[in-house]
Amino acid sequence: MATSPKLTDSVKFPAEMDTTKTLFGVGIVGLIASGVGFFLNHEQFFFSYLTSYTFFTSFALAALFLVMIHHITRSSWGTVLLRIPETFSSNIWIWALFFIPVLLGMGTLYSWTDPDYVTGDPIMEGKVPYLNELFFILRQIFYFGVWGWLGYRLHKASVEMDLTKDWGLTTLMRKISAPGILIFSLTLAFASFDWLMSLDAHWFSTMFGVYFFAMSFQALFPLLFLLIIWMQSKGILENTISRGHIYDLGAWFFAFTVFYAYIAFSQFILIYYANIPEATIWYYHRLEGSWAFISYSLIFGRFAIPFLVLLNRDSKHSRKVLIFTSVLVLFMHFIELYWIAMPIMHGHGISISWMDFALIFGLGGIFFGLFFQKLKKHNLVPVNDPKLGESMAKHYHQ
Amino acid sequence: MSKTYEYVHEPELVKGDHNFKSITALVTDINLRPTPAGWYIAFGISNILLLIMLVAIGYLIWEGTGIWGLNTPANWGWAIVNFVWWVGIGHAGTLISAILFLFRQNWRTAINRFAEAMTIFAVMCAGIFPAIHVGRIWVIYWVFPIPNQMAMWPNFSSPLLWDVFAVSTYFTVSLLFWYVGLVPDLATVRDRIKSKVGKVVYGTFALGWRGSNRHWWTYEKAYMILAGLATPLVLSVHSIVSFDFAVSIIPGWHTTIFPPYFVAGAIFSGFAMVLTLMIVCRKIYKLEDIMTIDHMEKMNMILLVTGMMVGFAYLMEVFIAWYSGVEYEKAIFMLRATGPYAWAYWIMITCNVLSPQFFWVKKYRRNVALTFVISIIVNIGMWFERFVIAVTSLSTDFMPSSWGYYSPTIWDVLTYVGTFGLFFTFFLLFLRFLPMVALAEIKNVMPQADPHNYDKNGNFVPPSVDVPEPIRGETDR
Repeated sequence: MATSPKLTDSVKFPAEMDTTKTLFGVGIVGLIASGVGFFLNHEQFFFSYLTSYTFFTSFALAALFLVMIHHITRSSWGTVLLRIPETFSSNIWIWALFFIPVLLGMGTLYSWTDPDYVTGDPIMEGKVPYLNELFFILRQIFYFGVWGWLGYRLHKASVEMDLTKDWGLTTLMRKISAPGILIFSLTLAFASFDWLMSLDAHWFSTMFGVYFFAMSFQALFPLLFLLIIWMQSKGILENTISRGHIYDLGAWFFAFTVFYAYIAFSQFILIYYANIPEATIWYYHRLEGSWAFISYSLIFGRFAIPFLVLLNRDSKHSRKVLIFTSVLVLFMHFIELYWIAMPIMHGHGISISWMDFALIFGLGGIFFGLFFQKLKKHNLVPVNDPKLGESMAKHYHQ
Repeated sequence: MSKTYEYVHEPELVKGDHNFKSITALVTDINLRPTPAGWYIAFGISNILLLIMLVAIGYLIWEGTGIWGLNTPANWGWAIVNFVWWVGIGHAGTLISAILFLFRQNWRTAINRFAEAMTIFAVMCAGIFPAIHVGRIWVIYWVFPIPNQMAMWPNFSSPLLWDVFAVSTYFTVSLLFWYVGLVPDLATVRDRIKSKVGKVVYGTFALGWRGSNRHWWTYEKAYMILAGLATPLVLSVHSIVSFDFAVSIIPGWHTTIFPPYFVAGAIFSGFAMVLTLMIVCRKIYKLEDIMTIDHMEKMNMILLVTGMMVGFAYLMEVFIAWYSGVEYEKAIFMLRATGPYAWAYWIMITCNVLSPQFFWVKKYRRNVALTFVISIIVNIGMWFERFVIAVTSLSTDFMPSSWGYYSPTIWDVLTYVGTFGLFFTFFLLFLRFLPMVALAEIKNVMPQADPHNYDKNGNFVPPSVDVPEPIRGETDR
């Protein structure tokens, strides 16, 4: 559009920055260190691994959801920063390989794999058609296949549009995203049952899939903030991603902070209020000993503080405030996953292991290494997107 | 994937060759013209239904809830089903007016006024049911925590009481939001109406609106704040309605997905109701240029999305009931699908999950007749959803020896049918006396409001001779 501002920034990631190498380096060191840990305490290794793995995967999945929502609603606000979530979700098919350790550790992680645990327990015996190793593995292949394909294909189409200027590709992306969201929501729900809910094989909650989604989606926005703020501090896309976009991201962050709290609280209050032992046991364990400390800190760290901070209009424009809130929520996101998974192993209370940290660096290094590797290869902005002009024209008020 | 696709341009929100003046005329002439005969007929029918409702309620108060079909396992019946159904319908109005406003979905401007009116009247219909269900309606004020010398307080830990607060807050905020949005348009009618009485009445409600810069500034601030307040209410009201069921330990009721599932269902049925009403009104009042097929298509997409959300919740419920291994949970879902109320369950599945599937296809989304039929089917389905939830879980509870079959009496039916009388009486009054499209807002999304004089491809086009009138043209003196 003639009225729209022109792209003035370079859309290439600066070649001289060796972010990828550094990150892969950190990742490999972290993984080697935790590999040593595997021989020292393999149970701790697998639990730490699962926690870190779900932590990073949740970003890729939330990013995939954001991309699909962007396409089916024909949004324009986020076009300038679309390449970032696209790149995250385009790597899911490679990232899936890092799920293999979880499959190898199935026998350690999931009590339902133990025949002694299952036999004689009528409830567990009833679950065998769903909770068995083979079906579990097949399901994971299906989930990662679906997500991997969606992420890869949407990224590919978007990159293709950079080269061909074929606006028809937006129609294609919409046609992929519409059924994509449907199958995404189903696979995500069942994946969360498999990865996290079945750790406590007796426990169940119909909300769990939505809960995992709400957590992941809330945590995506702080990640995007930190990335964008860091990139802009290096002079990348300084004039393209404006205050208006940052503000919009802040509004999403705020909205999904409330949504997360709504879902998490609803799940808690319904179980607490009805007070049926087989349902309350899950929270009972997490309100015992030092786990209770995490339970209460989630209320403040993941809801009350970000809610109050982001409620203010000015704080959605202030980079300092956003960095603080983002770091807090990302930290709490990890803590919440830790609090879901770890009490299975450490029933008595929080027991921090050095492997928790090693695996955050290990998997995180690889995850972000893959991200930057891919980000470097392509334009940082979908340069020929029909909505780009509209997106860049975002003013302060919008 | 070598197939190539066409780029689809965004449709214009207002069709036809309109300017601000013609839009004002199109909408407000409906209020200014003499009342058409058809309106009197519709109003008469609505009044008769309203009268039926009053009689049914009068008899209920005289005789007690024994006149309904409630029995001992099924202590909740049609009244609760109707309550949840009507409250649910209201949600689409708030979603359209508040949430879509915050998401800057400009297409909402064609239908928001209309949908908000629907919200308010639907909540009024809903409020009747729990109020008359208490039996002794003359002490209904006991639900409010009013200090009294008997030191008697409502049960604060009951979601039924939370409902009182949730629904009354919702009603208040919706009413305010609707009214604030109406103010500039009331002023437009005030300026155009010929009759003296009309001028005074519209003038009073227009609160002295002159369309000054300061008025608009205040108005937009107020509108924004009310939108922000109304947004959490979309979620909270139906979540608390779902708590009425979900905090209990009744199998089929106690399930954690209930809050978001109820909200999705509410938006689903509400959009269906907006579609039903919109399709009729745009035809009768010739508003096809404003409430276009593109609007209908977008709404059908929302219908599809929310329908799938409801389907997702059905699936989760059934799966987890099986997965949980809890005997009673498993039993209730088997009974729903195969037991005495299997017919209701399958009506629910067909109407809510299967019927919106048509809307995957663009051609069907843009088919007015099909949309009309499906919008009604969806509302039937959503009524049955609440029926299935409320009645099946109660009538076949833990002990087979205490099972019973619930069926409504004529008084249940008459009360329910009668609420349509209440709804349409108000709705027809709204159509007759208030501008049913948010004029000021729709003018904002027309190309004339964008004073850049560029065409679609971004080329400069000199302003035509027919310079559009400014928004304030009608109301400025």
